[in-house]
Amino acid sequence: MKLLHRTTRDFMLATVVVLLVTASGLYLLLQREILSEMDEQLDLQSEILGSNVNDWLHIDNPFMQIAPAGADALPGVVYGDTTIYDPLQKKDEEYRYRKEIKEINGRRYSMYVMIIYIGWDQYFNTIFLLLGMAILALGISGALITYYSNKKLWRPFFLNLQSIKSYSITDPEPPQLRGSPIKEFEELRATLMELTERSRREYKALREFTENASHEIQTPLGIIQSKLDRLSQSELTEEMANYIMEARSGVERLSKTNKALLLLAKLDNNVFADKQLLAFHTLLNQHIESLTDLFLSKELTLDSDILPCDILANLHLCETLVSNLISNALRHCNKGGNIIIQLNANQLAIANSGPPLDFPPDQLFRRFKKGDKNSQGTGLGLAIVSQICLLNHWQISYSYEKELHTFTIAFNRSI
Amino acid sequence: MKLLIVEDEPLLLNDMESYLSEQGYLCETAIDFGEGEDKMLLYEYDAIILDVGLPGGSGLKLLELLKEQQKDAGVLIVSAKDSLQDRVMGLEMGADDYITKPFYMEELNARINALLRRKNFSGHKTIVIDELHVDTVAAEVKWQDTAINLTRKEYELLLYLIVNKNRVVSKQSIAGHLWGDGYDAVDNYHTVYVHTRNLRNKINALSGYDFIKTVYGMGYKFTAP
Repeated sequence: MKLLHRTTRDFMLATVVVLLVTASGLYLLLQREILSEMDEQLDLQSEILGSNVNDWLHIDNPFMQIAPAGADALPGVVYGDTTIYDPLQKKDEEYRYRKEIKEINGRRYSMYVMIIYIGWDQYFNTIFLLLGMAILALGISGALITYYSNKKLWRPFFLNLQSIKSYSITDPEPPQLRGSPIKEFEELRATLMELTERSRREYKALREFTENASHEIQTPLGIIQSKLDRLSQSELTEEMANYIMEARSGVERLSKTNKALLLLAKLDNNVFADKQLLAFHTLLNQHIESLTDLFLSKELTLDSDILPCDILANLHLCETLVSNLISNALRHCNKGGNIIIQLNANQLAIANSGPPLDFPPDQLFRRFKKGDKNSQGTGLGLAIVSQICLLNHWQISYSYEKELHTFTIAFNRSI
Repeated sequence: MKLLIVEDEPLLLNDMESYLSEQGYLCETAIDFGEGEDKMLLYEYDAIILDVGLPGGSGLKLLELLKEQQKDAGVLIVSAKDSLQDRVMGLEMGADDYITKPFYMEELNARINALLRRKNFSGHKTIVIDELHVDTVAAEVKWQDTAINLTRKEYELLLYLIVNKNRVVSKQSIAGHLWGDGYDAVDNYHTVYVHTRNLRNKINALSGYDFIKTVYGMGYKFTAP
């Protein structure tokens, strides 16, 4: 439940309760006052009857009656309510009566006086109608005021929430946060600014570290490689030759991993902003053509269906994407299997046959995730592919059907 | 052919110098920006191998100075940064090629060779070894007057081996040269082997001499009789 609704709801509940209590109190008080006024009047009427007994004995007034009472009737006063049928209005009316047995001039009389409750139920209805309307009016206006003023006060909060939601630490710009005259919101804003600034700094430092570390590794790797090269030029025993060969493939793997890490750091740094309109089909065909002999050596059947596809993207990244995907297909395709490459204006699909994955597919694009522990790959190829897709707002998906691993990239044409 | 190598890492500089000297180049070296600047401006070179990250200034700055002097030496940029900006900027500023560390000496040599072939308009562009003629413009190979029909990969392989003749060229280096860095070298050794065998057979059939020797475990070596 939203805070705004919650406070409004509580306020309305309180209003209703307060008004109901007020209304009941008002009704009860009013009832008591009126009753005591009426009883005073009945007392007065009774007094009038008693002061002139002989005259009143002969007057037939249903509201003021006096009659001689038996000697056994005990003196005393009783108040009560009764109803009398009103033949004019054709309905029962409520009355208040006073009955007294009193001794006047040595004789006992019974005196009976009554007056009408002047529209008692009318009062009741009116009071509650008015109060009900007040509750309604107060409730509505209160809710409206709370809602709109709150909305205005909370506006900076919601706007800031929105910009924090859409903010990613990899964004080049810090999030835009709005100021507010409310102290709490201002504190929140300052804290958020500080937090994002700190994360940005740390993230930047990490990226720079990765990049610098990779650079620093390149030169020593170059030295090892060239020294191994020199060693291999001399006359060597078979054993030595094997050692050198193994050292070489280690260096080669390290060098590839390093280059891949560097590329990932650069992708995070978003340095590939320069895009151009390129013929993706030509690029793909060139890659396939240059790899024909590799397909042949693994006895793979290549089935390609390539339609024209022009796309606005970075050339270097597209080449990396294609080369990583085909390399992945080549590596994991079973011997004598088949590779299917399809391209049209909207999507690229690269599929290879092979046994199913031995790990959940959602781990495919993780860095350093390798299916086969002995694989010569860096474990970074698909992570790079997914990063490139992310950067271009392309959707990459993976599926496994009929013993075919398929990677599909949907180019987003709307951007 | 005279080369200037500007590289701040002494071990690498030493290797590059000795390797390229073995290949018959006259090599001079410079270890930092100042020395590179002096030599570059004082003498004439056919090609300059230029490291981007140098103590005392960027290699790209040296390139700028060189172009201001209107010297027409070919320039090969070497960088530890596989950075697109460096590459694009270097090439825009007039560099002829770009190579990223770590690299194989054979690859460096092949790049310099190709660069010099492109630069040197007066020089003939056919490499002759014994009776083997390799026309690098038409990408054609002949034994005496008979054309040898090679696939593109076989031709590239032959050229790579010839440029690095008398040296053991590793399988890794060949795989990297033929298919680029993106593909697993280990998986491709077999393909390198198949290509080399085919190439050898095609030349042998005409020449009767085995130019390409297999060095066990290491790779291949091109030698003239």
